[in-house]
Amino acid sequence: MATTDVKAPRRASEAGPALDVRTRARNHAIASIGSVLLVWLLVTSVFGLLDPETLPSPLDVARAIATLAVDPFSGSTLFGHVASSVQRWGLGVLAAVLIGVPTGALLAWIPPVRAAVTPVFELLRYIPPFAWIPLAVLWFGAGLTAQSAVVFVAAFPPMVINAQLGVAQVDPLLDKAARALGASSATTLARVVFPVATPSALAGVRIGLSNGWMALIGAELVVGSEGLGFVISQAQSNGETEVIVAGMVCIGVLGMLFDLALQKLSARALRWHA
Amino acid sequence: MTTETSTSTGRVPLQRPYRPPRKRGTTSIWRRGLSGRATFVIGVASSATLVAVWHLLSATALVSPLLLPPPLRVAETFWQFLTAEYLGETLVGHTAASMTIVAGGWLLGGLVGLPLGILIGWSDRVRWLVFPLFQLLRPVPPLAWIPLAIVWLGIGDPARIFVVFLSAVVPWTINSMAAVSSVDPLLIRAARTLGAGDGSILRRVVIHTATPTLVAGARIALGNAWTTLIAAELLAASAGLGFVALNASQTLSSDILLVSMGIIGVLGALFSAILRGVGRAVAPWAKEA
Repeated sequence: MATTDVKAPRRASEAGPALDVRTRARNHAIASIGSVLLVWLLVTSVFGLLDPETLPSPLDVARAIATLAVDPFSGSTLFGHVASSVQRWGLGVLAAVLIGVPTGALLAWIPPVRAAVTPVFELLRYIPPFAWIPLAVLWFGAGLTAQSAVVFVAAFPPMVINAQLGVAQVDPLLDKAARALGASSATTLARVVFPVATPSALAGVRIGLSNGWMALIGAELVVGSEGLGFVISQAQSNGETEVIVAGMVCIGVLGMLFDLALQKLSARALRWHA
Repeated sequence: MTTETSTSTGRVPLQRPYRPPRKRGTTSIWRRGLSGRATFVIGVASSATLVAVWHLLSATALVSPLLLPPPLRVAETFWQFLTAEYLGETLVGHTAASMTIVAGGWLLGGLVGLPLGILIGWSDRVRWLVFPLFQLLRPVPPLAWIPLAIVWLGIGDPARIFVVFLSAVVPWTINSMAAVSSVDPLLIRAARTLGAGDGSILRRVVIHTATPTLVAGARIALGNAWTTLIAAELLAASAGLGFVALNASQTLSSDILLVSMGIIGVLGALFSAILRGVGRAVAPWAKEA
């Protein structure tokens, strides 16, 4: 906390009792989230200023989540929809990792390949993943393949770009030194390039995962008959606003969990890294 | 050159130009850097090959033209679509419809995000209060708000502007926050010590550090806005490029679908290039990210 102590004199008026800055930050966070929830509750349940079709109360939303967990909604329970979303997302993202990361490494490592691929890649990269939804549906029909393809399109570019950046960071001198010491290409890749490139490549994977999740929700909103995106769009046509909000909560929580999991994993994988 | 020169027999002197022996560990041809010219030639060649393969695939009917129309037909459709109406508007009309919504959501995002970000960056208390809410809402993709936006605002421009606004406001806020907090307090104190007033500190110190980050925020916000708009148009629109793309897909007009995708991509690239240009113009001292 030394840094904050140094800053303190700038705002002498706030000195007050010497509370730890982190505690104060946490108190503020609790206060702000708590008051938003309270206002939400007051406006909807207590005073009934907004009708539940416009904004359901937090209690309604909690109840909707509980109901979704046991009663099937449009074909399956919440877990069924989550499973189908996660499956499509997983397939698309897995393909993007398996193709994107090696592609990025190749682009950085071999200049002629970079010269050949970069113009095409840059051209296609600017087409947002959602613009591929109609084409994916046309090509693969409205189903698992189309949605996984959209996830792939969304997750692929950051993985390529960051893997490329990572490999490009390798000091050419290190490469030459390894060669001079008799290392083969494979050894150089494994012992010199891989450690340098991994942090950036993993950051790309993380961006790709969250892009893919977002694209999947978009794809499920537009086409398909299962998944969380489908749940909220179906709830909208049924006029069940509390189910919409419940679905949004699930989408947000799952997205956050995936990101946290990857953050933990990459922190563990990169323990040697500063 | 001490080789034998037996001119009498008319033999060709045994001379070879010196070539260093290729050793293990020298850079292979694949790993050598390329000149700008070579990069350009290879790039053009690979793009041309791609178009040729595309043409052959659909010309030989290996891939049904219903799924992948030949490049020439796409070009022709683009030309016709410029003046002919499809779903009530010409290509120009649909593009204008999309761009209006993007501009609206993006500017609104800036109008809210800029002051909010500056406030968050300036005051610890505001940051502690607002940031947790921000973090709570951020994992929900802007797209997931579309159904709720439709319930609240109906299927119309306001719903799309709202969703585009949500996607744009985050980078606007985050970058203006970063812009404010990245100003080194030491620089401000140094300027003050040297006798600078508030106005001149703002002009000569704060803006100098903050501008590149702000412009980058504007660029990211515009990119997000464009991406989100396309998704919103797939769901709730009666004009616009995303709307065209989805309808073309449903009526199997794959040429129109590819034209609209192409325009979406070109405009996205154009927005990014324009804001990069703006960044260079207003803050030439900044390093490109």
